[in-house]
Amino acid sequence: MASYKTYWYTWGVLLVLTLGMILAGGAAISKVWIVALLLAGMLAKATLILANFMHLRFERVGLILTVVMGIVFTALALFFGIAPDGVRILHLGQ
Amino acid sequence: MKEASQVIGMEATWGGGGSPFAVSWRKLMMWIFLVGDALLFAGFLASYGFARLASPEWPERSQMFHLEFIALMTFILISSSATMATAVGAAHRGDRKLVLRCVLLTIVGGVAFLGMQAYEWTSLIRAGASLHANPWGVPHFSSYFFLITGFHGSHVLSGVIILGILAARLASGRAREESPELVGLYWHFVDLVWVFIFTLFYLI
Repeated sequence: MASYKTYWYTWGVLLVLTLGMILAGGAAISKVWIVALLLAGMLAKATLILANFMHLRFERVGLILTVVMGIVFTALALFFGIAPDGVRILHLGQ
Repeated sequence: MKEASQVIGMEATWGGGGSPFAVSWRKLMMWIFLVGDALLFAGFLASYGFARLASPEWPERSQMFHLEFIALMTFILISSSATMATAVGAAHRGDRKLVLRCVLLTIVGGVAFLGMQAYEWTSLIRAGASLHANPWGVPHFSSYFFLITGFHGSHVLSGVIILGILAARLASGRAREESPELVGLYWHFVDLVWVFIFTLFYLI
């Protein structure tokens, strides 16, 4: 079980990351870099919440793999299974 | 004849049987529910991403949102997650007063978030946005916006109700020892989903 200090440290890091992402969203750099930075910040925040707030880092490896890989692989499989059909439908009328 | 609990404790992690994840069935069921719910949101967000990539244009975010206001909503939700985590930590340490205080603070955060979301929705609806049309030229935008933020908002509302029940049980001394942790997992999940919605809708 994490200490109270860990929770409030995580809270501080989440706020800093959020602020950084808001600033990055309006930065004068290429759109590709902005999107890459925002996605990296988003994944970092999600990892912090899962690990420290939801205590996933204190669970057995079996549960961690089931939760993380379950979500990531199923979401990717669904997306790549459905996206080609979406593209095909978009081009049906052309 | 061995006791059932001894048999469960002796089983190897990968041996299957009683407790391969070494968590209670309630906690395991909560995790399985959250994985299923996460996939539902993943489906919505993937569909939104696809529609956005396929659309030749998309409304400029500054036309529709006040980023400072959304940042404040995010701050409130992250803070409520921190108070909930503190409640769970206090529950593990047996500090019942702190658990109740932190759960009540979490409820305040949840209600404030819902109020702000209602205000944001009202502003957009007054500006002419609906599920099938909006003044910014891309009908998909408001369809996805109301669907996804509404679905998330309904999760926040459910969370506030569950937290209210937990607070009442804590106050009367009828809460299970494990309840704050299970409710906490749900509340953090609500915060986790908002991290994705905030980035994909309001920042990109």
